[in-house]
Amino acid sequence: MIAIKVENISKVYRIGKSGSGRLREDIRFWLRRQHADKHLLWALKDINFEINQGEVMGFIGNNGAGKSTLLKIISSITTPTTGRIKGRGSIASLLEVGSGFHGDLTGRENIFLNGNILGMKNQEIKNCFDEIIAFSGVEELIDTPVKHYSSGMYMRLAFAVAAHLNPEILIVDEVLAVGDVEFQRKCLGKMKEISDRKGKTVLFVSHNTQALQNLCDRVITLHRGHIIDAGKPAEVITNYLKSTDNNYLAQSYEAPESAPGNDYIRIKKIEIQYDTEIFDIRTPFSTKFEFWYNDPEPGSLIVGIHLFNMAGECIFDVASKGAQLRAGLITGECQIPGNFLNNGAYYISIVFVKDTTQRLFYFEGCLSFSVEDFRENTAWFGKWMGYVRPAFPIVLNQQHVL
Amino acid sequence: MKNNESWDWEINASTKWFDWHLREIISYKDLLFRFVRRNLIASYQQTILGPFWVFIQPALTTLVYYLIFGKVVKISTGGIPPVLFYLSGILFWSFFSDCLNGTMYTFLQNANIFNKVYFPRLVVPVSNVISHSVRISIQLLLFILIYVYNLVTVGLYGNYYILLTPLLLLLTAGFGLGAGLIISVFTAKYRDLDYALQFILRLFMFATPVVYPASIVPARYQLLFWLNPLTVVTETFRAAYFTHEPVHYLRLAFCVIEVLFLLVVGITLFKKKELKIMDVV
Repeated sequence: MIAIKVENISKVYRIGKSGSGRLREDIRFWLRRQHADKHLLWALKDINFEINQGEVMGFIGNNGAGKSTLLKIISSITTPTTGRIKGRGSIASLLEVGSGFHGDLTGRENIFLNGNILGMKNQEIKNCFDEIIAFSGVEELIDTPVKHYSSGMYMRLAFAVAAHLNPEILIVDEVLAVGDVEFQRKCLGKMKEISDRKGKTVLFVSHNTQALQNLCDRVITLHRGHIIDAGKPAEVITNYLKSTDNNYLAQSYEAPESAPGNDYIRIKKIEIQYDTEIFDIRTPFSTKFEFWYNDPEPGSLIVGIHLFNMAGECIFDVASKGAQLRAGLITGECQIPGNFLNNGAYYISIVFVKDTTQRLFYFEGCLSFSVEDFRENTAWFGKWMGYVRPAFPIVLNQQHVL
Repeated sequence: MKNNESWDWEINASTKWFDWHLREIISYKDLLFRFVRRNLIASYQQTILGPFWVFIQPALTTLVYYLIFGKVVKISTGGIPPVLFYLSGILFWSFFSDCLNGTMYTFLQNANIFNKVYFPRLVVPVSNVISHSVRISIQLLLFILIYVYNLVTVGLYGNYYILLTPLLLLLTAGFGLGAGLIISVFTAKYRDLDYALQFILRLFMFATPVVYPASIVPARYQLLFWLNPLTVVTETFRAAYFTHEPVHYLRLAFCVIEVLFLLVVGITLFKKKELKIMDVV
């Protein structure tokens, strides 16, 4: 049985002229009747798909791909420009947690307020009130205004209410992106429980590819308002990760004149190489570089590679041994093993030092790349802690049998 | 694939006129009263005097009007005890302006939540008007207290038309809500309306017999003057509590028609635009 059938959904936003919020411009616009196409932004165009009852459908795509707009239309928050959506069963959407929370009201009042806003009746909330409080873990402060809560407690209370929604179709948008690791773990566990045990139809938007892979039965990739891929999560996510290469994996220059550097050093080429289709935590890779060296009084040259995460924290700083090199073209390579870096985005800087003290050239942030997550046989999809993720073995031995 | 063509709900590109979904609003009655409760609790949080402000506000305004318009400018109150005269005018005027102000910024003030959750948007302005109705009901107690005191000490006229009080309150609320709903659709799109509206509202107060009796309005403006539903409401209220005069049924009937018309136009426009408007807020 089909739970949701989406037919030819398109959504256009008019940008610029009309709807500018200024009366004079609107009147001028309508008088001229300039409905030029260049002022139209198609957030979605001819979207068609069906979701079966009990199916968990994931949506993936870059920012601006139309995921949120699609969920908003299905949630009746905004209207489509064309097309229609038909569905069976009650529907509830979680596009944010804590909608309508009021700082001056107590936790207790806010549970009811937020629950009512999400479409629950007073009786339904009363029935699971104790569970909500237990799940949130804020028992002692339940009669304190929520403005005195820490942000973590606030989020937990908000999610606790949301987790006890009981619709037949649930729409979830990226709400799990907030909060600490512990909180994310709890949220994802609850999501898994909802989809597995209760057999609900779920529409789930996330950037967390691990969560999508493990929770969803099918995944749809949106790109600039179009569906470009749909199917089994593993394949769709792999295709998506391959296509969205925002990374700066290589740069190379033909001639020293146009290359970055100075009188001593000119970069010819610097790149990251790996052999697999996807760059995940298991993938070994190497940083290769070539440069023109032109020091009139050559000394001992050291090349250092600095790896930073996107927060700008240095993960490592490795340096070559000092080498006596003569002017000309030099190549180098630094091998970084797999099962070393944790998943995340990183950038690399390269530094050239003469006689251990004189910095010849520092090429900052010349490469960037991201390491995807990979897990097997796990039901937990929160962010793995730590900067590195080595596969050190932990051995368990049974000493006694009781 | 049995009953593959029977669907529970459908979302379409077009919204129809006069599709009010009143049954849906009734199914959200828990939310409606939750909002009323929130409005009442939250508005007096972190105030020293708390709920006493419900009384203090009209009492202070009455005092100021009594001193300025009664003692200094010396406007006639048509034989009605000045304090009661000003208080009655102030109560109805502030009830109206609270309902209107609470309704006409519905989209702007709730843009955040309207962008994230679906519920019938009409719940918000209606809950607002109900909250203000609770307040005016309490304020009317203050009025009745002073009224009874005057009744005992100086003696007052009054007649059974005071039973019309609930209808007069309903008409005031309906006027504020209906006009507010219409305006809310425009304030969402055109922010500069805000300034103009607050100015017009202030002028409108002086076109309403709050600080003067209807009798001092020149004859040639009387017809126009009575077109204002608030004039009818305020003057009917005063006539009922302070005179032996019968109610002017024709004026009252016309007032009812005006308010109903505003409500129908307001709700229709609001329901038609409630989702589309969020694309421009």
